[in-house]
Amino acid sequence: MLARKKTEAEGRGGSVVDGVDGLMIEAAGVQKVFEAGGLRVRALRGVDLGIRRGEMVAIMGPSGCGKTTLLNVLSGLDELTAGEVRVDGEGIGGMSDKRRTRFRAERMGFIFQSYNLIPVLSAIENVELPLLVAGKKPKKARRWALDALEMVGLPEQASKRPAEMSGGQQQRVTVARSLVNNPSIVWADEPTGALDSETSKEIMDLLVRLNREQRQTFVLVTHDAAVAARAHRTIRMRDGNITSDEANGSPKGEGR
Amino acid sequence: MEELFGVPTDRLMWILLAVCAAGLALLAVSALRNRVSFRMAARNVPRRRAQTVLVVLGLMLATMLFSASFTTGDTLTNSLRLQALENLGQVDVEVRAGGSDPSGGQPFGETTAERARYFDASVAGEARDRLSGTDRVAGVAPLATETVPVTAKGTDLSEPTVDVLGIEEGSMRGFDRITTASGRTLSVGDLGENEVYLSADAAEGLDVSGGDVVRATLAPTPEAGMNAEANAGANAGANENAAAAALAAGAAPAPRPAELTVAGVYEKGANPSASSSMVMPLGRLQERVGEEGRINSVLVTHEGPAVEGGASTGATVDALGPVLRENDLEAEPVKRDAIEQADEGGESFTSIFLLFGQFSVAAGVLLIFLIFVMLAAERKHELGIARAVGMRRGHLMRMFAFEGALYALIASAIGSVLGVGVGWLMVRVIGEAFAGSGFDIRFATRPENVVIAFCLGMVLTFAVVLISSWRVSRLNVVRAIRDIPEPDSRGRTVKGVLLAFLTPVAGALLIFQGLQAEQMGLYMLGISLVVVGAALIARVLRAPERIAFTAAGILLLALWLFPGSLGPEGMTEGIDLFFISGVMIVLAGVWVVIYNSDVLLGAIVALFGRIRGMPPVLRAAVSYPMQSRFRTGMTLAMFSLVVFTIVTMSFIAAAFGSIFSDTDRLSGGFDVRADAGYAAPIPDINEALKSAEGVDEKDVAAVGTLTGLPLDAKQKDTDRRADTLFVQGVDGGYTKNVGYGFKSTVAEYDTREEVWTALREEENTAVISADLAPTRENFAIGEGQPSIKLSGFYGDDPALPDDLYIRAESPESGEARDLRVIGVLEDSAFFAPGVMSSKATLDGISGSPLPAQGYQFRLADGADPGAVTKDLEKAFAENGLQAVAVEKEIRDGSASQGLFNNLLMGFMGLGLLVGIAALGVIAARSVVERRQQIGMLRALGFQRGQVRLAFLIESSFVALLGIGLGVALGAALSVGIVDSFAEQIAGIQYTVPWTTLGVIVGLAYVASLLTTFLPARQASKVYPAEALRYAE
Repeated sequence: MLARKKTEAEGRGGSVVDGVDGLMIEAAGVQKVFEAGGLRVRALRGVDLGIRRGEMVAIMGPSGCGKTTLLNVLSGLDELTAGEVRVDGEGIGGMSDKRRTRFRAERMGFIFQSYNLIPVLSAIENVELPLLVAGKKPKKARRWALDALEMVGLPEQASKRPAEMSGGQQQRVTVARSLVNNPSIVWADEPTGALDSETSKEIMDLLVRLNREQRQTFVLVTHDAAVAARAHRTIRMRDGNITSDEANGSPKGEGR
Repeated sequence: MEELFGVPTDRLMWILLAVCAAGLALLAVSALRNRVSFRMAARNVPRRRAQTVLVVLGLMLATMLFSASFTTGDTLTNSLRLQALENLGQVDVEVRAGGSDPSGGQPFGETTAERARYFDASVAGEARDRLSGTDRVAGVAPLATETVPVTAKGTDLSEPTVDVLGIEEGSMRGFDRITTASGRTLSVGDLGENEVYLSADAAEGLDVSGGDVVRATLAPTPEAGMNAEANAGANAGANENAAAAALAAGAAPAPRPAELTVAGVYEKGANPSASSSMVMPLGRLQERVGEEGRINSVLVTHEGPAVEGGASTGATVDALGPVLRENDLEAEPVKRDAIEQADEGGESFTSIFLLFGQFSVAAGVLLIFLIFVMLAAERKHELGIARAVGMRRGHLMRMFAFEGALYALIASAIGSVLGVGVGWLMVRVIGEAFAGSGFDIRFATRPENVVIAFCLGMVLTFAVVLISSWRVSRLNVVRAIRDIPEPDSRGRTVKGVLLAFLTPVAGALLIFQGLQAEQMGLYMLGISLVVVGAALIARVLRAPERIAFTAAGILLLALWLFPGSLGPEGMTEGIDLFFISGVMIVLAGVWVVIYNSDVLLGAIVALFGRIRGMPPVLRAAVSYPMQSRFRTGMTLAMFSLVVFTIVTMSFIAAAFGSIFSDTDRLSGGFDVRADAGYAAPIPDINEALKSAEGVDEKDVAAVGTLTGLPLDAKQKDTDRRADTLFVQGVDGGYTKNVGYGFKSTVAEYDTREEVWTALREEENTAVISADLAPTRENFAIGEGQPSIKLSGFYGDDPALPDDLYIRAESPESGEARDLRVIGVLEDSAFFAPGVMSSKATLDGISGSPLPAQGYQFRLADGADPGAVTKDLEKAFAENGLQAVAVEKEIRDGSASQGLFNNLLMGFMGLGLLVGIAALGVIAARSVVERRQQIGMLRALGFQRGQVRLAFLIESSFVALLGIGLGVALGAALSVGIVDSFAEQIAGIQYTVPWTTLGVIVGLAYVASLLTTFLPARQASKVYPAEALRYAE
C-alpha cells in the first residue's frame, strides 16, 4: 500500500528541484484523533504525502486545520492513530519511544514559533544541548555550537541568555540549534510567527540559504503566504485533509 | 497543661477563638462585598488537587507541631496527676512537723532519709474542732507513718522501703476505703495482734499473700529512745528500749524486726503512701515505735472529687493556723502542690518541645510564604488579565487572602488533629524512656489545647498569607500578561534606597538597646542589621552585588558562629540566642551560596560532566534552581534551618554522651552506691562487712559513708531568707577515695586532693555542686531553681572568693555554723549534689552523732559490681539497704537520655517535612511551568529517563545543598557550643555523631527524592507534541 501511496505522493510532489532527489518523508493514510472531555476530534483524516530529500516544503492552512499536528506526527513528536510514516527510509510509527527519541536526536532539528529555548542556558549552551544529548564530547560540542552560531550570524551573542536577546536573535539561536547536529530534516512550526516582517524575512533568508547550502530537507508550517512562497512546494490543508499540493514555480530565493 | 505563655489555657482558647472569629468575620463580610474575588478564590482551591494537597500539607505543619507539643504536655500532666492522686487519694492537706520536707531533693535515692517528728495525738481532735464549722471539710484523721524495710520470712525477697500507715479506723470517714482488687473493703479493726494488710505492689515484690509472714524493722524513734534511756539500766534486756538507748548514745541500734502476718492484700485506699505500703491499727504502730498517744501526721479531706480537693486548701490552712502555731506544726497543701507540680511538669515538656519546634515553625513560615508566591507565579498571567479588565490590587490581595484563609482553615483543622497523633507517638517514646521507673504514661489531650493549636496555626498561617498576598498583588499588568520577568532594579528604587539606609539605623538602635539591657541577642541582631545595611548601601552605590553580599554573608557567618567575640563582657546569653543565632547563621549561609551559585554550578558540571550522558541532563537540572534564586534560596533556607538544628542538637547530645562514656568521672571512682533507711542504720559498715553473710570482704576496696541533715541555710551576709536544705556529711572513707575534681577552688588549694583533705580535716568547710554556683553563661532549659541561691562569684571562674560562706543552722539543736565554701565541684560529679561538708561538722551542728544513710563502695579489681550489689542487698535486707551498680545506673541514665534526645531530634525532624513539601511544591510547579521546555528537550532527543533524571537531579541538588549547608553550619556552630560547655563541664568532648548524621542526611534526602519522583515521572511521561502544545 505504501508503494502505491508513494507514487501518488510523488505525483503530487510536483516540480523537481535542483539537488532534490529520492523521498525523505513518506506518509500514507495518516490519521490522528484527539480525545478530550468525551469529545473525539479527528485532527488528521488520512493524509498521504511525500517529501523529497533536500526539498523545502511549506504547509499552510487556517487555524485548526491540522498542520501542526501533521508536523508533529511526521516528526515523531506525537503518536499516530492510524497510517504509516517513513522518514529517511525508516518507519517511525512502530518505533519505541526510546528509539524514536534517539532517531530525532540524530536526524532531525526543530524550530518553533515560541523559540522554546531553555531560558536558564546561554545561547551557546542552548545550541550545544542536542550535541550533548547525542553523546558528543563537551569540547567538540562547544566548537560545533560556535560554528553553528557563526553560521546564523550570532557568534558574539554566544554567552547571552534568551531573555537578553531580541526575538529575531532568539529564533536564529533556535535555527543554529536545529542545524548543529547536521540533521537530515528540519521541522519548523511557524518559524516567523512571533517576528516582525523585517526579522521574518531575515530568518527566511537564513533558512533558504541553509537549505541550499546544506541540502537539508525543510518542512515549514506557516500562516504566512510570503514565507510559503520561499519554499519549493506549498501544501494546503483544511479539516485534517490536504486540499492542494503545488510546486512554487519559481520559489523566491534568498534576498528576494 | 493549664497555662501557656503564662495565660490559663481556657482563657487563651477564648482569646484566640475571638481573634480567629473576628478575622473570619471580616473575611466573610469582605467576601460578600467582593463576590467575584471570593468565587475565583474558592474555585482555585480544587483546581489542581495534587497541588492543593501539597499546599495543605505544607501549611498544616506548624499547627501540627503546636498540637503535638501540647498533647505531650497534656499527657505528662495527666500521668503525673494520676500518679499524685493514686498516692494521695482523698487526702488534701497534711499537718506535719516543720522541716519534714526540705528542699534540695533527696540525696539518698529512694530511701526516706528522715522520719517525720511525732506530736501529741490530741492535735487531730483540735484540728477537727477548728474545721468542724465548715461544710467543705469531709474528714480529719490522725495518722502515724513510718518507712521501713520489709522482708518475706523464709525467702530472700525484700522491699527496702515500705510505707507503714497506722490508721484509726473510726476517724477515716470521708477518706478512701482500703479495698482489695475484687472491690472488698478491708477493715483495720478486724486485724489481730500481729496482723497487717499489705499493698498489692508490696505483696508482689515480696511474693507473699494472705496468711504469709513478713518481717518489718520498726525501730523506736529517737525521742522514744531518750525516754527509754532513763529506764535502760532497769530493763537492759528490753529489746526495743535497748535499741533506742543505743541510738540515743550515738551508736546505731541493732535492727529488731517484728514478724507480722499478712491478713489481706489491698489494691488501693491506703493514703498517703507510695505504691509499696502496709496498714496496721494506729495504736499498734505507736506501740512499736514507742510513741504511744502520739502521731506524726493529721490528714484533712475536703468534700468533692479527689482532683478538686485542693481548691479549698487555703481556707483550711488558714482555719488551722492557731493549732499549727501552738504545736509548731505545718499544714502541707499536698493535693494542691501535687497537682501544681504535675501541671508544671507537663508545661515544662510543652515548653521544651515548643522551643525546639521554633526552628520548624520558622521553616514552616518560609514554606507558607513560598507556596503563596509560587501560586501567584503560576497565576501571573490570569492575575495580569484580571488587573487589565479592571480588578484593583485590593481585589487581588483579597482573592489570595480568601484562598489562603480556606487553605489555612483546612490545614489548621487537619494539623491540630494530626498533632494529637504525633503527640501520642511521642509520649509512647517518652514512656519507653521512663520504662522501669514505675511512672506510667497515660495518654490525654485537652480539647482546649487542640483548639489553641488550631487557632495558633490559623492565625500564623493567615498572617503570612496576608503578607504574601500583599506582595503578590503588586504586579505589573503588562509584564504579568506577557510573562516577562520583573526587572532587577538592583535596589535603586526609592524604597530600595530607603531600606538600604534605614537598615543600619535600625541596627544601631538594636545595638544600643542590647547594650542597655545587656542582652547579647539584641546586640548581635543590631550588628547583623548594620552588616546587611552596609551590603545594601554598597549595592545602591553600584558595587558588584556578588562581592557585597558574599562579603556580608561571610561576615555574618563569622559573627554568629562565634557570638560573644564582639560583645562586651557580662552580656546575658540565654537559650533564645540559640534560636536567633541558628536562624541568622542559616540565612547568612544561604545568602553566600545563592550569590555564588554559578561557581558551584561550574564545579558540579566539571565534576560530574565526564560521566557519559550526564552533561545535558546536569546542565538542564542544575541551571534552573540557580536561576530561580528566590525559590531555591527559600527551599535551601528551610532545609538548612531544620537540618542545622537537628545536627547541632545531635552534636550537643553526642558531646554530653561522651561524658557517660567516662563512668569513673561521673561516679567519682565508686562502683556501688547504697542507701539505708533511717529505721535500721548500719552502725559501722566496715565492721558489718566483715561479718556480712554472702559478701566477700575482699571484693570491697573502700567504703565512704554519707549522712544527711536538714538545715536552714543561706549565704552569709546576705538578707535572703534561709532555705531548708539537706547538707551531706562525708567521712574519711569518702574524702580519701573520691575522684571528683573541682572547677573552681579557693586560692590556697592547688589540687583536688588538697580540697578533699581540707574538707576532712578542717571543720566548717564545705564544697558545693556546680548547679548551686551562678555561671556566666546560662543555657539551661526547663531546670528548676537551685535549692539555695548563692551570688557574688561565678562557678566557671577558676578562683573562688576567700570569703564565701553558707550559714547553716539546725532547727532541732539551734546550733549554727558558717561553712566556708572551698570548692565548686565539676558538673560531672553526678552523685554529689548540693552542699557537702565533713561528718564531724554535721555531728557538731546536730549536737549528736548522726547515723550513716548512704554508702559508696569502691570495689577491688575484678569484682563484679552487679553481683556485689545483690550480695549487699541480701546481707543488709533488714537494714533496708538498696544498692545499685553505678556503671549500670549511668548506662541506664544515658540510654534514657539518649532516647529523649532522639525523641527531641525526631520532633525537630518533623520540620524536614517542611523542606520536603517545599521541594514537592516546586517540582510540581516546575513540571507545569516548563512543560514546553520539556517538550523541546524531548524533541531534541532527551529520553524519558533523562527528563526524569534531570528533575531528580534538580531536587537532589537543592536538597543535598540544603542538607549539606545545614550539616556544615551545625557542625561549625557545635564546635563553639561544645567548647563553651567543655569549659564548664569536664569530660565533654567534641564528638562527631556519624551514625546520627548518616540517618539525618539519608532520611532527609530519600524523603525529598520520593516527593519529587511523582512530578518527575509525570514530566517524563508527557508526549513532546502535547508538551509543546501546552499553554498554562
